[in-house]
Amino acid sequence: MGQTAIQTKGLGKRYGSFWALENCNISVPEGSVSALVGPNGAGKSTLLKLLVGLSTASAGNSAVLGKMPQQHEDFLSDIGYLAQEIPLYKSLNAADHIKMGKHLNKRFDEEFIKDRLKDLDIPLGRPVGKLSGGQRAQVALALALAKKPKLLLLDEPVAALDPLARHDFLSSLTQAVAEGGLTVVMSSHLLADLERVSDHVIVLAAGKTQLCDNIEPVLHEHKLLVGPRADAKNLGDGVTVIHETQAARQSTLLVRIEKGTKLPSGWQQHEPNIEEIILAYMGQAKEGGEK
Amino acid sequence: MNWFVWRQHRKQFLMLGILLAIFAALIVPTGNHFWHTYQQALTTCRQNPATPSCSNLPDNLFQTHTDQILFNLVPVAILFLPAILGMFWGAPLLSKEYTEGTNSLAWTQSVSRRKWLTAKLIWILAATVVVVGAFAALNTWWAKTPNALLYNRFNYLFFASQGIVPVAYGLFAVAFGILFGAWFRKIMVAVGVTLGLFIVMVMIVVPNFVRPHYMTPITISAPLGPAFRDNIPGRAWVLTRDIKDKNGRVIGDIFPAAPHECQQIIQQNQINTGGGIQVKATPSGADPIDDCLNKAGFHQVATYQPSYRYWDFQRIEVGIYLGLTALAVGAAYWLVLKRDA
Repeated sequence: MGQTAIQTKGLGKRYGSFWALENCNISVPEGSVSALVGPNGAGKSTLLKLLVGLSTASAGNSAVLGKMPQQHEDFLSDIGYLAQEIPLYKSLNAADHIKMGKHLNKRFDEEFIKDRLKDLDIPLGRPVGKLSGGQRAQVALALALAKKPKLLLLDEPVAALDPLARHDFLSSLTQAVAEGGLTVVMSSHLLADLERVSDHVIVLAAGKTQLCDNIEPVLHEHKLLVGPRADAKNLGDGVTVIHETQAARQSTLLVRIEKGTKLPSGWQQHEPNIEEIILAYMGQAKEGGEK
Repeated sequence: MNWFVWRQHRKQFLMLGILLAIFAALIVPTGNHFWHTYQQALTTCRQNPATPSCSNLPDNLFQTHTDQILFNLVPVAILFLPAILGMFWGAPLLSKEYTEGTNSLAWTQSVSRRKWLTAKLIWILAATVVVVGAFAALNTWWAKTPNALLYNRFNYLFFASQGIVPVAYGLFAVAFGILFGAWFRKIMVAVGVTLGLFIVMVMIVVPNFVRPHYMTPITISAPLGPAFRDNIPGRAWVLTRDIKDKNGRVIGDIFPAAPHECQQIIQQNQINTGGGIQVKATPSGADPIDDCLNKAGFHQVATYQPSYRYWDFQRIEVGIYLGLTALAVGAAYWLVLKRDA
C-alpha cells in the first residue's frame, strides 16, 4: 500500500482536431477501488484505453504499474481490461475462451475461472453469443480476473446490466478485491453505480475546459461564489469560471481556482458537491456547443 | 496463439478441405477420361490419316455440352479461387475483430499485437499456399488435354489457372484482404475493395498491359502471303500482327494505301460473294494481289513471345505478386501496431 498504481501527467488524446481527453492528472493508489465518474463523452473510455495501451497518447504521459503503457507481454500480463461493449468471440463457448486465456497468458488460473463460472451456473459449452448479457459480463470479468492481474480496468461494466445482474457483478468484483493485491479502476456515468464498492473517486468532465482529476483536489479547487452582478468579470488570474447563473441582482459562479491563488474578496463562498461540479462542466459544454 | 488461430478458423480449414476433395473427385476421373480419349484419337489418326475428324482435332473432340462446360468452368473456378479466399478469408480476418471489438480482448491478453498478427498471418498465408497450390496442381494436371489440343498455354485463362501463378494470386488476394480489413475496419467494405483490386490487377491490368512486356518480344517480318503463318512458331503468344508499308507505318486498311496499279489488281481479282470478299483462285497458286503489294514495299510484321518462355513468365509474374504481397503484409503490420484499437 501507499504505492501508486496509476499516475498521469497532462495526459491527452486528440482525434483530428478534437481533444477527447485533455490535461488529465490522476493518481490511483495501489490496492484501491477507484470509480471513474463523468458524463458520457467526457473521455472515460479514452482514458482507460490509454492506460492499457490500446491507444497512444497525443500529449502528456502516464505510468501504469511503474511502466509506460505499451504492447508488451510483460506490461499486458499485469493488467486486466474489460471494454465497454464486453467483447467476446460470439461463436466460441466459455470453455473455448478459457482455453484462449490459458494459451494467451503466462499465468492464467484455469481452476479459478472454471470454479467461478460453475458457481455462477454459466454453461461452459454454449456459444457465448447465446448467453444473457449478465452472463457474458460475468464470463468477461472472470477472464480478466483469471489473468491474475495487479490492475483491473473496467469500462462501464454495469451499464448494460439489469439491477440483479449489476448486483451480482459488483459482488463478484468485491469478492475478488477482498482476496487482495488488486487495484481496480472502473468507469460509470452514474456515481451511484459505483459508490457502494469504491473507496476512491476520479472525476472526468469535458467542456471548454476539461476536468480529469482525483475527487479530493476537485472538491478543493472548485468553489461556488455568490456576489453582486457587476463583479462577475473581475476575478483575477488563476480563477476560471466554469458556470455562471445570473439572477436579477446577483451572480452565482462555479469557479475553478488554481493552487496558491487567493480567493477574490467580496464574494460569498460555498463548497459545491461533486454533482454540482460535473453539471457545471456539462452546462459549459452545452453553451460552447450553442455558440 | 497457434491453438487459438486454429480454433478460430478450423471450420474454414475443414470446409476448404471438403471443397478440395470434391474438386479432386471431379477432376481425376474426367482428366483421365479426356487424356485417354485424346490419345486414342491420336492413335487412330496415325493409323488412318484419312479419317475426316483428324484434320481438325480441336473442333471434333470433346464437343458434348458437359465437356464444354467442364473445359470452361474448371479454369474459371481456379482463376476465382484466390479472389474468393481474399474475400471470405483475408478480408474478414481483422475487420471482423475490429467490428466486434474482439481486438481489444485479444490485445489485452499477455500477447503483443505483433505476435498475435504474426501467428494469424503465418497460418492464413500458409493455408492459402497449400489450398491454392493443391487446386492449381490438380488443374495443371487435368489441363494437359486442353493444353495439347488448343496448343497455347499463354491463353489468358490457361496462364492464370495453371502452374505456380495461382498460388501467388492467392497470397496477393488474401494479404490485401487482410490489409483492407485492418484499414477500413468494415467487413463489407474490405470484401468489396478486395474483389475490385483482384479484378483490376489479375484480370485486367497485368494480363493486358504488364505481362506482354516481361521479356522483349521476338519480331519477325516477311512478305505478304500464306507462308507468313508458318514463320510464327507453334504455341507462341502472338502479341501483334500488322501490315506495314515501306516506311514501317502500320496500315489499317490496305486498299486506300495501295498504289493505283495494285488497287486495280485488287478490284479485278476480288469477287464479292455476298457474305464477304474473296480472292479468285489462280491456277498457279500465286496471288497477284500479294505480288503487287510486296513489290510496293508492303510487308507483314509480327511480335510474339515463344512458348519456351512460359515458365520464365510464370516466375516473373509470381515475383511481382509476391512483392505486392510483402507490401500488403508490411502495411497491415503498420496499421495494427501503430493505430489505436
